[in-house]
Amino acid sequence: MKRRITILSILLVLAVVLSACGGTATTEVPAETTAAPTEPTEKTEEPTEAPTETEEVPSGEVVLPRKETMYFNGQQWGSVVCWNPYSSSCNNAMTIAQQDNARVLMFETPYLYNMLDGQVYPLLADGDFAWDEGRTQITFKIKPAAHWSDGTPVTAEDVAYTWATHVKYDTATGASNKAYIADIVAEDAQTVVIKAVLGENGQALNPLLVQSYLSSNYVIQKAWTQKLEARVGEDSAALLTDPADDVVWSGPYTKFYTDDTKVILIRDENYWGQDASMWGKLPIPKYLGHMIYKDNAAGTTAFKAGEVDVSQQFIANVQDLWLKEGLPVSTYLPEAPYHIGASLPTAFFNLGSYGLDQLAVRKAIAIAVDYDTIIANAMTNQSATFDQVPRSLMNPTPGEQALYDHDAVKDLQFAGKDIEGAKKLLDDAGIVDTDGDGWREFEGQNLHYVATAPNGWSDWQAAIEVVAAAGKEIGIDITTNYPEWAVYQTIVTNWPLPEKDFDIFMMWSDGAGPTQPWSRIRHLMSSEFAETTNNWNGNWGGYKNADADALIQAIPSMTDEAALKEAYTELVRIYLTDIPSFTLMYRPQSFHTVNESVWTNFPHEGDGTVPPVPPLDLMDGWSVAGLYNVTLVNP
Amino acid sequence: MKHTLRQVFHSGKFVAGFCILVALLLLIAIYPLFVKGDPLAIIGQGTFFPPGTYVNTYDSIYAPNTYTLNLKDAAANRIAQRLPEKDREEMKTWLVAYGIPEEQIDVNDIKALLDIWFENYDPNESLGMIYAKQRYYQRLNDSIRNLLSIEGVILAEKNPETGELQEVGIVNQTDYVNINEVANVRVLPLGTDNFGRDVLTELVRATAVSLEIGLVAGVIATLIGLTLGLLAGYIGGWVDDFIMFITNLFTVIPSFVLLILISFSIGQEKRGAVTIAIVIGLTSWVWTTRAVRSQVMSLRNRDHVNLSKLSGHSIFYIITHDIFPYIASYVVMALILQISSAILAEASLSILGLGPRTTDVPTLGLMMNWAMIYQAHIMGRWWAYLPVIIMIALITFSMNLMNTGLDQVFNPTLRE
Repeated sequence: MKRRITILSILLVLAVVLSACGGTATTEVPAETTAAPTEPTEKTEEPTEAPTETEEVPSGEVVLPRKETMYFNGQQWGSVVCWNPYSSSCNNAMTIAQQDNARVLMFETPYLYNMLDGQVYPLLADGDFAWDEGRTQITFKIKPAAHWSDGTPVTAEDVAYTWATHVKYDTATGASNKAYIADIVAEDAQTVVIKAVLGENGQALNPLLVQSYLSSNYVIQKAWTQKLEARVGEDSAALLTDPADDVVWSGPYTKFYTDDTKVILIRDENYWGQDASMWGKLPIPKYLGHMIYKDNAAGTTAFKAGEVDVSQQFIANVQDLWLKEGLPVSTYLPEAPYHIGASLPTAFFNLGSYGLDQLAVRKAIAIAVDYDTIIANAMTNQSATFDQVPRSLMNPTPGEQALYDHDAVKDLQFAGKDIEGAKKLLDDAGIVDTDGDGWREFEGQNLHYVATAPNGWSDWQAAIEVVAAAGKEIGIDITTNYPEWAVYQTIVTNWPLPEKDFDIFMMWSDGAGPTQPWSRIRHLMSSEFAETTNNWNGNWGGYKNADADALIQAIPSMTDEAALKEAYTELVRIYLTDIPSFTLMYRPQSFHTVNESVWTNFPHEGDGTVPPVPPLDLMDGWSVAGLYNVTLVNP
Repeated sequence: MKHTLRQVFHSGKFVAGFCILVALLLLIAIYPLFVKGDPLAIIGQGTFFPPGTYVNTYDSIYAPNTYTLNLKDAAANRIAQRLPEKDREEMKTWLVAYGIPEEQIDVNDIKALLDIWFENYDPNESLGMIYAKQRYYQRLNDSIRNLLSIEGVILAEKNPETGELQEVGIVNQTDYVNINEVANVRVLPLGTDNFGRDVLTELVRATAVSLEIGLVAGVIATLIGLTLGLLAGYIGGWVDDFIMFITNLFTVIPSFVLLILISFSIGQEKRGAVTIAIVIGLTSWVWTTRAVRSQVMSLRNRDHVNLSKLSGHSIFYIITHDIFPYIASYVVMALILQISSAILAEASLSILGLGPRTTDVPTLGLMMNWAMIYQAHIMGRWWAYLPVIIMIALITFSMNLMNTGLDQVFNPTLRE
């Protein structure tokens, strides 16, 4: 008996041990099962409409036929709050994202930006837009075929009223554009005129930003906006928090079902875009679905199982999915870096930190970091290396790379892992270890820094670990710290940064867009954002350089290509000389990994589309064209 | 004392647990003597290299001796690895889809298969296949080029002056090197992790750190528990009430939640291994207190304690000389349990990202945390997490085994 009890207790202990410490292996299992729609139970409960031959996935009240539904992951985290295109806090990732590559599934912009060729293509607009001779205003037409979901036509008046509302209620869009756009008026029902704020030379102050308004901001119906205004009593806060369940849209999809586990959009069969003047047909999938996964691992598990067609998640070692596991998975490019790099995740130096105002210290850290390891290990090679694309302010696309003179800044480039060079730099600057504790001092005080990234942002965290490792090699004590994102973002966006804990920190840069690379450079270097609060723009480290400011201000109105190239080259030179921040890797605009179990013919390199469809999950900017090209693997 | 020890070592369970623990301790002590170097050094460029022996290709070419071995199945092995049967079947599928009559294709006649393949395959021909499949064939096509070649590979060096390539040697298919003669060979018995660190080296160091954390935390928890338990149990009265009030407070709050809150508020920068150990120790003494107290209360009215009191001994003397020896065996067992649960607590904390600072030392929990972040568990990289789990299981298992053994010896109701 005693023996049996002890054996039992040993088993129990083992079970406890395994369940407690085997957390990694076991915790994901429930996630897996919750991620997978609970097919058998719901199916028996709700045998509403049952297409006989297709696989069915239940979604709330109805059963979605798998062959008419395309599933996504990596966009929507947490449940949807509202459907209000004026608001920027709807947490509605599938339909509301007014950005360089605006998301146009439900609401539409006049033009669509294509990051692959840098051009914009008309959507609601009819033909190209045109500047007047003095570059003071832009004129464009609205397509006669374009109409709202309630059947009324989209007019120039809608465009004008949308802008007026943004300004009147001081929305994020209004606030960030009103310094450059004086007014938007409807000349007639089809013709829109955008009047720019003029600079000293009598031309538009910033033509780039005026132009980019057209491809990054939605047109919202005037009638509905007026209804909304009446409902909220013209109160700004109420307008921005209105759930807008009755919103009128113009895009090809609309809400079908949402709860805290999923978001389902359904195709609008009356979508105006089936007119020959636009797409000439409806997008292929009838439903677009997005399960709300607990974390990346759950999303990846579902993706591997073929429950997700298009993944916008970072999947470590994505090539293993096809090389080792033989899954029908592919990325835009067949080989590393697998995606089109568009943004530059960057480590910022807090220039207010002790010793980091010294160029020698900043440069020593930057040249000592092993970038090849960051790219191979943290990004699992899903980034171009700095050998392939030398460091600059440009993203790796050919268009941007051509904008500066590579040879002119060649001697400023650093490949990384230059431990000896970094040590020499510090020795020459007199920053040496005098008290023999292994750490260098600047004016008698040890150089001790904390490098930080938000917790759970795995590629950034891993990259920061490599930065910290470099510090140890050159006698600068760098430790790591990973606060939660909620804390991190509040601290990083509000100057002054704390004296400790945020000496070297990760933030993003702009990706690809109609105002790039100018806007990215502005966000990385312009002193207008230095030492400000509520700063979601950039230059979080507090860098100031008058020469850079002057160039950044001059570029938008430059038209001469040679002068432009010279200006960009000079900015790159300043950036690589001063090293206010340093890029750790290249990152795609969106991860775009597709599982071809159900759907195929996704955008991929050399797919023959003209203009090329960019790999942006079939929902951002011109990539929405991909929704009209996809086909079923087994129709 | 001698007798007690002999008794203890007669218990099979204790001996088994003890042996496992000693083996682990020996591993921790001996391994670093042979494999030197920083356990956190990033040696691999790339993630999760599988376990195995890594032979430097460059050094193999320049090995002092090259041996020629004419092995019969060498060519067959080479072909089997580069073009397994599965791939040959897939080639057949493509060719059939392309319109080659099925009977013309023999997947077992590799030469004929390759001939027909190179004659017909066109990488730009999609045949209505999905991209993943098209790319599979493109990769396959690249990888089987020169599969049947019997010539060696020519080595060339760049002439430093002209920049032209000059032939400097040839590697034949029958060339072998003796692995002992290659300058650089690295055995990675457990591969590398997501940072490219040697998992075994890291694991050994992490085990040492975890044991250290366990020991510090266990000693702290046991000391606090013992002191409070002794005081509450022996003195009684309002001291007992007060201590039990505090103890009950801590009992009601789940200690793990407390642990999370404390480690979160400390901030990662100050979370060294020892700090974490202290925090764990400070949150896990409750049950020791309660158990010691109840034992002491039953001892308090024994005759020898009363005698001691009559003799005028101080409270301190009575506690240390008349009470403590009677509960010592229990305390040792409690200590062992505390150590093992502290190791588990560290692991659980680190999995949540609240463990010790990541740049200082590896710990078992941190290793699992990173393995999980890089999805080792869903990508099948067992070597990044399974050895860690086994190690934790072994440590706690050995301690619990020792504890059961001790229990058998000291607990009169269990004595056989």
